[in-house]
Formats: sequence, C-alpha cells, structure tokens
Amino acid sequence: MTGGGRKSGAVFPVLAAALLGALALSAATGPVPISFRAAIDAIFRGTDDTAARVLLSLRLPRALLGALVGGALASSGVAFQALLRNPLADPYILGVSGGAAVGALSVALFLSADASPLLPLCAFGGAALSALAVFLLARRRSGVSPERLILMGVVVGAFLNAVIMLMVTLAPPGKIPGALYWLMGDLGLGTPRRVAVLFPYVALGTVLLYLLSRGLDLLLLGDHAAFQAGLPVERVKTATYLTASLLAGSVVAVSGLIGFVGLIVPHGARVLVGSGHRRLLPAAFLLGGAFLVLSDTLARTASPAGELPVGAVTALAGAPFFLYLLRRNGGRS
Amino acid sequence: MSGRVRIAVTRRFLLGCLPVVALLLSAIDRPTIAADRFPLALMDDRGVTVRLAAPPHRVVSLAPSLTEIVFLLGRDGFLVGVTRFCNVPAAASALPKIGGVSDPDVERIVALSPDLVLCTTDGNPREKVRALEEMGIPCFAVAPQNLEAVFTVVERLGVLLGTADRGRAEAGALRRRARLARAFSRDAEKPDVLFVVSTAPIIAAGEGTFMDELVRLSGGRNAAARFSGRYPRLSLEDLVAARPDVIFVAGMAGVERFPPEVTRWKEVPAFRDGAVITLDGDLVTRPGPRLVTALERVSAALADWRKAPAADEGGKR
Repeated sequence: MTGGGRKSGAVFPVLAAALLGALALSAATGPVPISFRAAIDAIFRGTDDTAARVLLSLRLPRALLGALVGGALASSGVAFQALLRNPLADPYILGVSGGAAVGALSVALFLSADASPLLPLCAFGGAALSALAVFLLARRRSGVSPERLILMGVVVGAFLNAVIMLMVTLAPPGKIPGALYWLMGDLGLGTPRRVAVLFPYVALGTVLLYLLSRGLDLLLLGDHAAFQAGLPVERVKTATYLTASLLAGSVVAVSGLIGFVGLIVPHGARVLVGSGHRRLLPAAFLLGGAFLVLSDTLARTASPAGELPVGAVTALAGAPFFLYLLRRNGGRS
Repeated sequence: MSGRVRIAVTRRFLLGCLPVVALLLSAIDRPTIAADRFPLALMDDRGVTVRLAAPPHRVVSLAPSLTEIVFLLGRDGFLVGVTRFCNVPAAASALPKIGGVSDPDVERIVALSPDLVLCTTDGNPREKVRALEEMGIPCFAVAPQNLEAVFTVVERLGVLLGTADRGRAEAGALRRRARLARAFSRDAEKPDVLFVVSTAPIIAAGEGTFMDELVRLSGGRNAAARFSGRYPRLSLEDLVAARPDVIFVAGMAGVERFPPEVTRWKEVPAFRDGAVITLDGDLVTRPGPRLVTALERVSAALADWRKAPAADEGGKR
C-alpha cells in the first residue's frame, strides 16, 4: 500500500474542477426550469422569484451539503483504513452507523409528531456513544490494536442491529417510513442552516486529520516501526479514531447512512495520488465530494418514480467500481 | 404503511389488467350472486372456488376493511377473530385478535375453528392462507382495485354470509352516495391535487391507488400522475414544480403536518391559500365502505376550492 505518488502535478486542479463541475451540474438540474440568465441574476443581482429561490435555497444548499458529506465520508474512510490497516474499512465499520440508526429510530418512534428537528441530534448522540463504547471496549493497557477494534466494532454493530430490528418490528406502521428513508441516506434535508451547522465539524475534522497525515503514513508501517520512527503511536491512534468518528457521526446526523463513499473513494484517490496522506486526504475529499454530488443529482432526477435514496445510487455505482479496482490491483494490495 | 409503499407495478401493466379483471369479475359474479342459496360455490379473486354447505357462523377476518364490511352487513355477531388493526367500528377492537394483516397467527386462527376466513390477496401472506386451506378452512380472498370493486366485495360477502339482500342494498346505498358526491364535480374547473401519505419524506399517491381514484372522481387532476409507480417519493423541488392547488395528507401517526421549511414555499397555491387538508389515513387506504366517506370529503374540499376567491388568481391552469 505504500507505493509512491503519481508524478503528475495536475491532479489537484483537475479534481477541484471536477467538484466545481459537479456542483454546477447539480445546480443546473431539476424539475423547475431555471435559465442560465436567471441563475446569474439570482446569484449576483439577488432577484427573488421562484427560480432564484429554488436555486439558492434548494439546489445549492443540497449540492454543498453533498460536497461536504462526500468529502467528510471519504476523509474519514482514509483515516479508518490507515488506522485499522485494512483496505475494507469504512467510516461505519466501528459501530457509528448502528448507533446513529438507533438514535434516529428512537426519535421517530418514541417522540411525538413534530420531533424531526431532534433527529440529527439524536443520531449524532447515538453515533458518538457507540464509537466511544467500541473504543473503550477495545482498549487495553498495552494500547488499542486494529484487530480488537474491528472485533468490538463488529460485535457492537451486531448488537445494535438486533436493537434496530426489534424497534422496526414493534413500531406502529405509520412511524417507520421517515426513519427508514433517512437510514438509506438522504440529502433532501439540505437547507442553508444545515450546511452552516455541518461546516465547522467537517472543517475541524478534515484539518485535524490533515495534521495527522505523517502519523497515518507511519501507522501503515505497523505499530512497532511507527514507534521506532518516534511516533507517539497510541496518541496518534486515539486522535485519529476520535476525529474520524466525529466526522462520520456529524455527517450521518444530517444525511443518514450513505454507504460506499467512505469505502471506495479512498481507493480511487490512492490510484490518482498514491498513499501518502498529505496528498491522499485532500484528493479523497475532493473526489468524495464530486462523487456524492453527482450521485445525488442522479438520485433526484433519474427515476420517473420520483426521488431515489442517494445511498442506493452510491452503492449501485460504487460496488462495480470497487470490484474493478480490486481486479485491476489484483495481487498488489 | 411501509408495506403499502411497494415497488411499482408499471402503469401499463396495471391499466392493461383492469379491464380483464373487471371482465372476469362481472363474468364470474352474476350467475352466483343470482343463485345465492346454500350450498353455494363462489369464485374469489384468486380464481379459487370457495364452497360453503351452509351459511358460516364462525368467521375470521384478516383485514380491517373486511371487518368493516362484515359489520356493515350486520353479521358482526359471526366474527370470532380479527386483526389487531381492526378498530372500526369501535366494537371491532373488542373482538379476539389473531395477529396482524401481514403476520396472522395460523395456529390461533385454527384454534378458533372458523368455518370461513376472509382475506386479501395483496395484504395477507399467501402461504399462510394456503396453510389454513390445507387445514380444511375455506378462505375467500379479495383484491379490489377501485371503488366499484369494493362495492362488489360488499355484495359478494353478503352472499357468502347468507345475507345477499342486505349486501345488495348496502352496495347500492354506497353506489348512490358515490354518485351524489361526484355529481357536482362534473364539467367544473379541475384543480391540481396532490395526495401525500407521508410529509417527511414527501411520498405521494400515484396512479393505481385509491387516493388517485378519489381525486379523479372528485374532478381533480392528480399532480403526482406524471411520476410512475404507485407511491413516488417527491423532492421538495418536485413539489414546488408541481404547484398543487390542493394538498391532502393521509394522516398517519407522525406525518400529519408538513415541516415549516416546506410550507414556506408560497408559490405552491395550496400553501399560499392554506388548502392543505388532513384526512384520516385509514379512511383512504382501506378498501372498505368508508372510502365513500373519503370521496365525499375530497369532493367537498374541491368544491370549497372552486368557490374560494383565491382560485381566480391562480389562473395559470
């Protein structure tokens, strides 16, 4: 996995252009027709007609939310793959998803009708609690080993899954669809306010991970080698774990469980820039953002049967791509 | 509800089937309804001929709509078991429960030793019904897809329960009410109507649903008809683009109201004019006699809309 970066320096401008292109495409697509002229007027002259309002308070916030969520999931995936030294790791592998789901379903089932504003908060709480529980369960005096983290993550995840099934079975029928759609991943909640709420978490998380990038490089060599190289191994691991979980948890809270972005985008980015984290993390962020914005544009507009869950689109596009990568890289990783 | 939001049968297929089903029904029913004496043989909507030697006295209903119809026919004294969702009329709640619609407890049903089980083809699991039949219990399965088919179910259950005259009378009364409700919608202005079964996410009732039929019979246009599938999910932008004049919400627990970030879109005439009407969810999703009540409400609401002065400014239709 330590192959050097590709030489081409043009990767980052291209990735940035891809993200901007995806945002523009998303802003230009939808059931309400908006002319280019109207879009320019809306953005620069502050017009206030339907077209302007659709563009500024529906499409752009949703596209920006997609970029933030996709970027954060990809960054978090990079961090978990390095931390666990496992190419199959993703942001949800250590119980974040199960915890978030239980939190969200609790709101949908046990609170009254208009409790939906509480849903993100409880999802975040659930994600944070389960991530913390996995971490504390896996920790020993000698430190945290990837194997124990994965083991505890799987066990906690299985337990939470059982809780989810129980909740869904026992719930009154009318209360379930909202929570289920949310669980499948949904960027439809992209209001300007949500973008503003999510932004600091994503900014903080990605910057922290970037600061840890040398540590992540060394972790890939194994704990012992990293220690020999002078890395405070346990502290870096703890910081990585908490930061990546914070990213995943905050994103899950506003968009539900969007799968595959955190798993495949890191691999795609590695193909482009190699596995040095100083280049890998920003590349994964840009690529993840572009991928999710495009997926969501498809999810919103492609089906004649209305909106599709974006999580289904990312998985449909992502799984074959992942297989392709696996075949192509065959014996190498 | 989640069970109802199912993957779409394509519209073409559905439309293609309707006349065939209607033809089959009319061909099958007439002779048997005429000969409504026991022993009788009556074909159900699966094509299974149900034979009864004598009028049944111990009946189990596996659907709330069927329970309502049995009560309507005055045969509730024969009901020995219903589902846990059977809550109308209130007396139905007091009857012994045999489980839910999708998870009826076969053992409990057998223990009640019924001589007839009433079920549906689209809600009750087929293998459970087959298990009951293998125990020698006659099961009559119905699958009404529109109002007229519901009225026919009333007639057929009347025959089965040995009260054919009452069945014909009640079905006739329902037909008359439905005709009356439609009467003042003819040749009138057609508002664009959106019927939603969930407000967050926005899930609308598309073609092939009872709600779609209610809107059309009341002289409205279903604003969700351009989507394929029976229960399309709409984005907020889809809703804004559809600009419905009237919105009906099929109230289920927790989804009665639109969140404020949706209702602030005043370019949607229904939000601007406050034309958002909540109807009891059971009323519009259960294929029972109360569908006519739903039709009356929808029809009256659209009549109100036509009278309201705001309708004039919305003049882009």
